[in-house]
Amino acid sequence: MLRTTLILFIAVWAVFVVVPVALLVLWSFLEMKDYSFSSGLSTAAYAAVFDSGRYEVTLRTLRIAGLVTAIELGLALPFALWLAKGVRSSMLKAMVLALLTVPFFISLASRTIVWRSVLSRSGLVNTALMHFGIVEQPVDWLLFSEFSVHLGLLAPSFPTMVLPIFLSISLIDDELIEAARDLGAPPAKVLGDVILPLALPGIIAGIIFTFVPLLGETVVPQLLGGGRVSMLGASISSLLQVLNYPVAAALSTLVLGILAALFIALRLIGGGSIAAVFEGMKR
Amino acid sequence: MSAPGTITRMAADAPPEVRPVHVRAGRLEHRLGLLAALGGFGMIALTYAPMLWLGIMSVSADPLGGLPGPFTLEWYDRLFTDRRWVGPLLASMGCGAVVGLACAASGLLVARALPQLRARGALLIAFLAPLFIPGVLLGAGLFLYLRVFLGLRLGWWSVFLAHFAWAYPFALLALLVTTTRFDTRLNDAAADLGAGPWRRFVDVEFPLIMPGVVSAALFGFLLSFNELARTILLRGTATTLPLFEWAQATSHSSNVPLIFALATLVLLASLLLIGVSFWMLFGRAADR
Repeated sequence: MLRTTLILFIAVWAVFVVVPVALLVLWSFLEMKDYSFSSGLSTAAYAAVFDSGRYEVTLRTLRIAGLVTAIELGLALPFALWLAKGVRSSMLKAMVLALLTVPFFISLASRTIVWRSVLSRSGLVNTALMHFGIVEQPVDWLLFSEFSVHLGLLAPSFPTMVLPIFLSISLIDDELIEAARDLGAPPAKVLGDVILPLALPGIIAGIIFTFVPLLGETVVPQLLGGGRVSMLGASISSLLQVLNYPVAAALSTLVLGILAALFIALRLIGGGSIAAVFEGMKR
Repeated sequence: MSAPGTITRMAADAPPEVRPVHVRAGRLEHRLGLLAALGGFGMIALTYAPMLWLGIMSVSADPLGGLPGPFTLEWYDRLFTDRRWVGPLLASMGCGAVVGLACAASGLLVARALPQLRARGALLIAFLAPLFIPGVLLGAGLFLYLRVFLGLRLGWWSVFLAHFAWAYPFALLALLVTTTRFDTRLNDAAADLGAGPWRRFVDVEFPLIMPGVVSAALFGFLLSFNELARTILLRGTATTLPLFEWAQATSHSSNVPLIFALATLVLLASLLLIGVSFWMLFGRAADR
């Protein structure tokens, strides 16, 4: 009976989660008729994606998500290495991991809206800048600009980069590192020839977990972009509201395509062994 | 909970393994390590400072102003007169409770079976997919599938579906932490002593994996309670607390101070629940 329930649940998950996302690809190639899908095939939606405005939104989204992901990677890789191999106290390690996990369960909107009171014309930063006489007039590019969107995205995207890299580095056997040292490898060589190749699956996983969700981010660009910095996620939402379903599906398919490409990269480098997750759990 | 304690202590008495090799750190690496730690802790500060600031500004006269103070409880007071948030709050709590229970029950079902299945890798990817698929994509996919393709009327049931899909990977991971650590030989021992399947589960397995079950339920509740990106697309006529806050925050800026107070209360409650679930999942295991 347990087995039947399990199979039933897997089927429900497939029908209500996997299929709806996969069908986005199909919808993007269908024509619209009377606010519903007809059976005619068309690539019109993709032509519409490359219309002037939407093309710009796509490029901006890729640029912002790419830059934020690069910053996260630059900070997360050394931090994960330090956390996995440099920290002796298991207490400190557990505390840092907890601090990185807690934000997943906190409302992103409440964490984001508070930036308004820090960055606005009368906000904390401008008050400080004017108090110390650094600027005469309040700086107004701090809020409702690409700057504030980048800043707002930084903290929420950090844990998704650190945790997979940390997992993959902590699975590297310390003896391998020590053996490389005993054979006379300088630190840079140990890092380049031993640690990085073995951590590569975690790095790619971190990029998937960070870059792809950033492509669809809706809350931060809307709260801190103030309508001036529109990104793909908001585009998809508003296309659904004006009943332009094929183009919304085409934009979604674009994101799914990037996700698929990253997954293939992960497979090609020979990582992505999901069994590692089960191994990691036992620690 | 005395039985598990005895078992781990017995394991600790076993002959020690060869002493593990520790990574030695030279001076250069030590300095670079400090630099790396500084960067990481900087990001952690960037995560928690806004939460602290939210709380401070919620007791300030002008929450959107630059500096805190003069301090006042005016906004909390206003929350008691302007009670429009109570309905959405109760609805969100109900929805979260249902999602939490569903996550714990179905998570338990899958987490017990998954490590033994042959297709576990593919299944795990399918179950963890909502972790890396952007929320708006899952929302758009479900919307087009349920509303446009199947022609169904959206409402609380579709909100539940979206919340469940989002929360399930976290619940499953919390449960896998405990089920993969569970020593299945204990079940065999219980069977040798004549215990049936149900008794083995209730008296041996469940007490040991209970922390994972409770954490899964709490994670499900919290993720549903705070969900916004998917709810916007699948709400139908339903209104959750994050949707209410979102509408207030994006339309009338005069209501933003109230949102600061409300968000602070929700934040404090969330932190409390997260603390409880982390303690259940990891803290007690460390005590033993």
